[in-house]
Amino acid sequence: MSLWLLYALLLKASITSFSGVGALPQIRQDLVVTYHAMTDDDLSRAVLFGRTSPGPVGLYIVSAGYAVRGTPGAAVGWLALSSPAFLAIPMLALLRRWLHLSRVRSALDAVIVASATLLVPSGFELVRDAIAQLASFVVAGL
Amino acid sequence: MASIELLRRTLQRRGCLDDPEHGILNAVSRFTPGTNVLAYLAALGWSYHGAVGAVVGVLGGSVPGSVVVTTLTAVAATVDRWRPVRAALAVATLVAAVFVLVNAWSLVRPYIRGARLAWTVTTIATAGLLAFAGATPVRVLLALAVWGALTPARNPA
Repeated sequence: MSLWLLYALLLKASITSFSGVGALPQIRQDLVVTYHAMTDDDLSRAVLFGRTSPGPVGLYIVSAGYAVRGTPGAAVGWLALSSPAFLAIPMLALLRRWLHLSRVRSALDAVIVASATLLVPSGFELVRDAIAQLASFVVAGL
Repeated sequence: MASIELLRRTLQRRGCLDDPEHGILNAVSRFTPGTNVLAYLAALGWSYHGAVGAVVGVLGGSVPGSVVVTTLTAVAATVDRWRPVRAALAVATLVAAVFVLVNAWSLVRPYIRGARLAWTVTTIATAGLLAFAGATPVRVLLALAVWGALTPARNPA
């Protein structure tokens, strides 16, 4: 997978999420299911390392980039994580102008609730994967 | 959210930030796509020092953690062949997966406890059905954004 494509996929996931792990369903869809560039196991570990590192929860995107393309992939992951933050600058202006409109607020609320809903199947996939790994250790140990 | 709260306390203690300004920055970070705390830092930096401030804010909030997470991932890939390490990582990944589910709950909890419970349940059900039907996450979010715009609160807070 090229670095450009990796950046585009990670940016798409990052820019369509509204929380640290909100990008997870899209990353799993693209990098695990569609492109087979990483496994569920890699993704679970990326989430783990993102949670155990100081800084934003979204740092797992950097780890996911590393899992796909090594250090250049991590740099691409960092770019994809950081670049949406600059949207906050035009958002400052838009907020003062439009956020008092109930339709705009309701649309954003719906996106936040939907992104939380999408996390549930992804979370259960990761739980299933981790339990399968643990079960294989238990069986191998018997 | 905890990082933003910590940042607010630190800046207010130094007299660099007041409550109204924090309220605006917090709302911006909440509604900016991507990682909330980085959006907060970009908006904070922009408010005080323009473009340079925004860049410094985002770099300061993301580079140290990115170096740590890259190092952790690289080290884990190296020691992954050792059986005890693999077992420990399997346990840790289970914990990480639970974090994902807890995060989903923390996002939706304010809406469940809010005034629009029926709307929230309908939104969750619609998102779940679309995802179950095979719609990609982006399409689900776009569809739900339209749904949200068509069903505004009667008495928004």
